[in-house]
Amino acid sequence: MRAYVPKDDVQAKAYYTDRYYVAPQVPKSDVSTDEVFSADLEAIKAKFEVIDSFIQMGQMVVYINAKDNYGVLELMRDELKYTQLSEMSAIDWLAKENKFEIFYQMLSMHKRKRIRIKMFIENGQAVNSVEKLFRSADWSEREMFDMFGIEANNHPFMKRILMPYDWQGFPLLKTYPLEGDEFAAWYEVDKIYGKEARDIIGPELRDTSRVDRYDSERFARLGHEVPKGTKITGNEPKTEQSYQEEGGVFLIKKFDKESSVVVDDPQR
Amino acid sequence: MAQVTNRLTPFFENITFDRVDNELILNFGPQHPSAHGQLRLMLHLQQEQITKAHPDIGYLHRGMEKMAENMIYNEFMPTTDRMDYIASSSNNYGFALAVEKLIDVEVPRRAKVIRMMLLEINRLMSHLFWLATTALDIGAMTVFLFAFREREYLMDIIEGYCGARLTHAAIRIGGVPLDLQDGFIAQLKDFLDKLPQNIKDYEDLLDTNRVWLMRMEEVGTISTELALSWGCTGPMLRASGVAWDIRKEEPYELYDEVEFNVPYSDKGDNFARYRIYMEEMRESAKILYQTIDMYEETVKNNQTELMAHAPKYISAPKLDIMTQNYSLMQHFVLVTQGMRPPVGEVYVATESPKGELGFFINSQGGPYPYRLKLRAPSFWHTGILTDLLPGHYIPDVVSIIGTTNIVFGEVDR
Amino acid sequence: MAQHKINYTQDGGLPVALTSIDKIVNWGRSNSLWALTYGLACCGIEMMASGASRFDFDRYGTIFRASPRQADVMIVAGTLTKKHAEFIKRLYDQMTEPRWVISMGSCANTGGMFNTYATVQGADRIIPVDLYLPGCAPRPETLQYGVMLLQKKIRENKAGNAQRPKRLM
Repeated sequence: MRAYVPKDDVQAKAYYTDRYYVAPQVPKSDVSTDEVFSADLEAIKAKFEVIDSFIQMGQMVVYINAKDNYGVLELMRDELKYTQLSEMSAIDWLAKENKFEIFYQMLSMHKRKRIRIKMFIENGQAVNSVEKLFRSADWSEREMFDMFGIEANNHPFMKRILMPYDWQGFPLLKTYPLEGDEFAAWYEVDKIYGKEARDIIGPELRDTSRVDRYDSERFARLGHEVPKGTKITGNEPKTEQSYQEEGGVFLIKKFDKESSVVVDDPQR
Repeated sequence: MAQVTNRLTPFFENITFDRVDNELILNFGPQHPSAHGQLRLMLHLQQEQITKAHPDIGYLHRGMEKMAENMIYNEFMPTTDRMDYIASSSNNYGFALAVEKLIDVEVPRRAKVIRMMLLEINRLMSHLFWLATTALDIGAMTVFLFAFREREYLMDIIEGYCGARLTHAAIRIGGVPLDLQDGFIAQLKDFLDKLPQNIKDYEDLLDTNRVWLMRMEEVGTISTELALSWGCTGPMLRASGVAWDIRKEEPYELYDEVEFNVPYSDKGDNFARYRIYMEEMRESAKILYQTIDMYEETVKNNQTELMAHAPKYISAPKLDIMTQNYSLMQHFVLVTQGMRPPVGEVYVATESPKGELGFFINSQGGPYPYRLKLRAPSFWHTGILTDLLPGHYIPDVVSIIGTTNIVFGEVDR
Repeated sequence: MAQHKINYTQDGGLPVALTSIDKIVNWGRSNSLWALTYGLACCGIEMMASGASRFDFDRYGTIFRASPRQADVMIVAGTLTKKHAEFIKRLYDQMTEPRWVISMGSCANTGGMFNTYATVQGADRIIPVDLYLPGCAPRPETLQYGVMLLQKKIRENKAGNAQRPKRLM
């Protein structure tokens, strides 16, 4: 019987973890320790439900309900002066709790503060687009759709952005292998030459540790080259690198190493 | 061997034409000499005027975020080089800083100074490269040759330090691997002394050049609102009237100890961006002079440490590894299994030559990041073309793409 | 009676030179290799550097052309992704014969460090490649040496009209 490999997370795994190892936590502090953040949090709390909030690494993290995202970001932009949506994307928690975590990284240039708004959505659920508020979300949401398959409602052009339009699968899901699936492996061959060329072109060589035993016969050290097919012994004599054929080239000046100049100082 | 035939259809069949008026669709790229990489633009034209622009990216998408989820932290460092490959060390630095924040280590002062030198040299390299390519796109071949000449000198200096011209991987998590080589300071000083004259040469060639002014002035004007809304940062934002430089506003490393100005303009057009790049080169030179003094001070104070001391996360110095058993074991575990940062999240933004380069890391206590999001400035600087290009004419496209300074390794990741 | 004394043993016998068609055609081809600017990623920057001030590609008769129809050699400089693969084939098909391909850098050779879903594992899966340059990124000197080797290769071949179809794999 083959060993069971879990299919829900095919990312690289640590091959050894001490049984008694408890991972330390990055310290979180209470929001009340920072007055700017606590004022912001109060403003959000006044209108929307806040599930959790804390300060980590000098940035406030606020968990909200998924349905409130447009409202919260609008409030933050218009009243709290968070002028930029630096980044937004998702984190895949499908294996653990069948959810995606979405984060909006905001920057206030007036207050010099950064806030991360976070929310959870169910698998298959769509988010509200914030493209009307921040134009940068136009492309971020497309990228999120491309990578995770999370759609954004009311987005003007919900199509793939990084991968080709006819691509199948969502690369950043934990279920998607790093080296791609069957479709990815043959994508370019199928598209350019057709499926029948698969046999001629052959599969991709993905094994990074693969060593061809003939390689030692085909390749010699630079400057110690031997003709093709010669057994490499390691004691090859040094061969001068030649830039031209022996007898010189028709109408071309013969390259003479002796008369060439070597520049020592590049800034001369 | 059977010859494989090609089944690609002529390309225009892939595009649907809505022929309601005399609108023309122009396909620009993905392999265009002045697209600064693999940008593809679908331009809807009304005569020569663009009515709608649709940038298509992803032609250099290599799946770096996915790679990061399958790599230990140190392993990912050389991959960051290939993001913004014009200024590799700034990416190395952004990633190293994010992980350092996560594992909470303090980098020794000498390493900080060396890092700042590398960052500013990279900024100079990036801006010189920007100047060269943009000038070439607009037709100023001389400036291209001049700027590349200076860039080669900088590459010599960097090559002496880390051995690579382009993909440096010169910064480690927790410090820098090497001290500056002999002659680094002398070479750098030599270069910096000549730089003002070189910059003046470029300006003499360009500032009053009629062609240059016509292609640059009042072209590609970005309003402050648009720049903020599209998440523009760096020179793009500073040219649109917001003097926001992360080095000044949220100082990292020793940027709070050096003195420099943040050039900005409220014009927002191509020419303003060009002026900002030129001024930033001068400011970088100013910072470099100060870091040279700071470096000499660390030599005087005998602060020789280059890597932070955190045995849980960072390997001991080579001498310890070779002589002490415990350090060797620690090193072995860190290399084979990788460090295990605490559970938590961090978003760290640094000012790369292009703008705000952010690294968002979600760590679940394992040796691999659970999620790593690269916030690359060029991504949004490409996106803004959607709103910026309509209304402009075809020749403006090239100069606008030029001044946005986009690098596709970073846009597509 | 000759008015000017000509030394036929110098300058390849100019102004009179006896040679074969192969030689003269190959001489022309190998010394004016026009390259298609195919800068895809980092290697493209090194390719530009080899065309710029210090390395000066013009010495080899190599000038970069933006149009595939004017180019003899395609220097695939950088990572070839699956999304782009279609276009490299299109541009290769547009080049006039005889045409050569230099695959510059690890990514174009084998996919290099990008062993991921989005990267073509070697440009030779799509187009036939004549020369592989190792390195990540190869230095401009490597590219120039590569061009010299390609010139050597061109000179060795017969310059006949029909080019033997190249293997794809």
